[in-house]
Amino acid sequence: MQTLHDTEPRFEPESAPRKHRRSNAAFEAYAMLAPSILGFAVFLIAPIVIVVVLSFYDWNLLSDPEFIGLENYRELAGDERALKSIGNTFYYVLLNIPAQTVLALLLALALNSKIKARNTFRVLYVLPWMAMPVALGVIWRWVFDPQYGALNRFLDLFGVDGAAWLTDSTWAMPVIASVNIWQYSGYTMLFFLAGLQAIPAQLYEAADVDGASPLYRFFAITLPLLRPAMLFVLITSVIGSFQVFDTIHVMTAGGPAGSTATLNYQIYLESFTQRNAGYASMLAVILFAIIALITLAQAALFRKRTTYDFS
Amino acid sequence: MNKTRTAAIAALALALPAALAACSGDDDGPVTLRYAFWDDNQRPALEAMIKAFNEDHPDIEVELEQNPWEDYWAGLDSRFAAEEAPDVFWNHVSRFPTYAANGVLLPITDDIEADGVDPAAYPEDLYDSWQYEGDQYGLPKDWDSIALVYRLDALEAAGIDPATVNDLEWNPVDGGAYVEFLQKLTVDANGNNALSPDFDPENVVQYGTAMSSNTGQTDWWNYAVQNGCSLQTEPWGDYAIDAPECVEAIQFTADLYNKWHVAVPAESTNQPNGGVPGDYVVPGQAATTLDGSWMLSFYRDGLEPGSWAVADNPSGPVGSGTVINGLSNAIYAGTDHPDEAWELVKFLGSEEAQSISTGMGSVWPGVSSLNQGFADYWAGEGIDVTGFQTAAEGTTTGYPLSMNDAAFGTAAMDEFNQVWLGQKDAQEAAEAVVAIANAE
Repeated sequence: MQTLHDTEPRFEPESAPRKHRRSNAAFEAYAMLAPSILGFAVFLIAPIVIVVVLSFYDWNLLSDPEFIGLENYRELAGDERALKSIGNTFYYVLLNIPAQTVLALLLALALNSKIKARNTFRVLYVLPWMAMPVALGVIWRWVFDPQYGALNRFLDLFGVDGAAWLTDSTWAMPVIASVNIWQYSGYTMLFFLAGLQAIPAQLYEAADVDGASPLYRFFAITLPLLRPAMLFVLITSVIGSFQVFDTIHVMTAGGPAGSTATLNYQIYLESFTQRNAGYASMLAVILFAIIALITLAQAALFRKRTTYDFS
Repeated sequence: MNKTRTAAIAALALALPAALAACSGDDDGPVTLRYAFWDDNQRPALEAMIKAFNEDHPDIEVELEQNPWEDYWAGLDSRFAAEEAPDVFWNHVSRFPTYAANGVLLPITDDIEADGVDPAAYPEDLYDSWQYEGDQYGLPKDWDSIALVYRLDALEAAGIDPATVNDLEWNPVDGGAYVEFLQKLTVDANGNNALSPDFDPENVVQYGTAMSSNTGQTDWWNYAVQNGCSLQTEPWGDYAIDAPECVEAIQFTADLYNKWHVAVPAESTNQPNGGVPGDYVVPGQAATTLDGSWMLSFYRDGLEPGSWAVADNPSGPVGSGTVINGLSNAIYAGTDHPDEAWELVKFLGSEEAQSISTGMGSVWPGVSSLNQGFADYWAGEGIDVTGFQTAAEGTTTGYPLSMNDAAFGTAAMDEFNQVWLGQKDAQEAAEAVVAIANAE
């Protein structure tokens, strides 16, 4: 009786503050989230909504926008430049992603082994990603100058006649892609490196006991267990690749003859050199749709595969 | 990853806080005006003029906002969209029609009358070029024309008498004396010039000329005038660069690259990545170039005194000719300080202000009476600049006046870059440009 009597009041006052504390905690959490939610709404949600709305308008940036319904979308069908820029975008992504991913994976494998000065190499490969893309673009532009650039001067030493890299429509896009591969491989490598270090060592030991070849170990253990890292890397780098802008702006400005104008660059040109901000918004919506579809497809592709059973 | 967002989204996102911040009071305290321009060479003269302005207007602070030409217009347009444009800015004839028609410029007709500013102080054409539907939208800041700039050491090495440079003629058939002049100045690694049968066009150490205009203003437009071509049917009319006399001038320009091999290759000079013409002349990659009067201080600062000079443009089949242009100082229609902005524009258009910039050799003045002051400055530097004046007094063309300037500019750069590279026929390119520019 006494114990019950004793416990009861103890129980009551305890439950009330706990409830109170819980709602207090929730309030604090929301308060702390508020700045980022506000930022998210103002800088991401609002611009996206504005762009979607603007895609139904004719707007030259200077006077008031005029509602034209689906006219911008209808115009796209006959716009060779815009359609070509969509093709250019896929071409760039195909040049960029496979090479960058394979290179990053090879770098990660090499720097995951016990070689000398491993940390120095890791830093060196990440450096290009840390530098300003615009500054790097300017320097690469000098390197690729056909007359006075370092690359063709170097090729000259071996009697090789270097191409006009950035003014030749065959070469310009591969050159841009290679600069970006150089710039982002080290960064992508970091994710593979983290993924590699998370693979339990006993799996390799077991494989050794079974006498598996290094190649077999790579395809049976390393690659399947890297799948989470691979999914992350592919989704983010494909999105980044579809949005490439700075390197192109600095190195070719979309030229020669529109051969490096990706969809993202075409959006800039339409909006800020042709003053067709409504039409550019329509292109931005198209780019958004393309990226969303491809990202969904990637996620689905990775989900379909059987997962490796750890237990 | 490639951390970029579309420029459009960024601009719109920026517009939001800008709109929130746009409420500044209009009391009697000190006022700050933002003044936008692009040409680095003219910065010292602008600073000197603003200093003089502040002697009479200590309460008006002027902040200079500089953006290079390539970024200037996109930046200005997006700030018009955000209603955050600079109060006063340099305006260009090619953008003027669209700006005036869309109401982003403040008319100053009444201010001019109220303050008794005399339009006769400026050349009539220059003053009138800033009129739209009966209103005046700016006061002339300067004028410019194109002339031949050359290195004396290159001429000496080629055994060319500088006295002969003023009378060079070209023709589309065999190039004429002008092309021969450029051939003598184009030298390969073995010391052979472009007239020699042993000349190696793949191994040139000095070219006769450099052409790297992003419009044509300092290269093919000049050959076009000299060949009787009009870029437009009439001011505000259609583009007409597919006419035979225009195509011939375009072809002649392409020949300087690919037939005569006397111009720094288009692989290097094509815009937007190529340098300005002076970037090739100053280090000696080119011996001469056609360039604008606003670039004189670039050569002064890059070359030894007495090592370079200015001559008349060459003449073509119909005679001599040049591209003439001028800038104005304009006021943003949405400015919070229209009175102060007008005070600044009025001062910058005055004889007092422009005598400061001519005294520094910056640009030919908008105020006619000061022309001699500019010529005198350069005579003091040992440079005879009458070539620009002679050119301006002869046959001239200006920038085309059109609402379709943006479409024309982009299409022309795209198409003609290919012609300069020898990858496209001049006629075909001219027709493509006209089709795009006249369609809108």
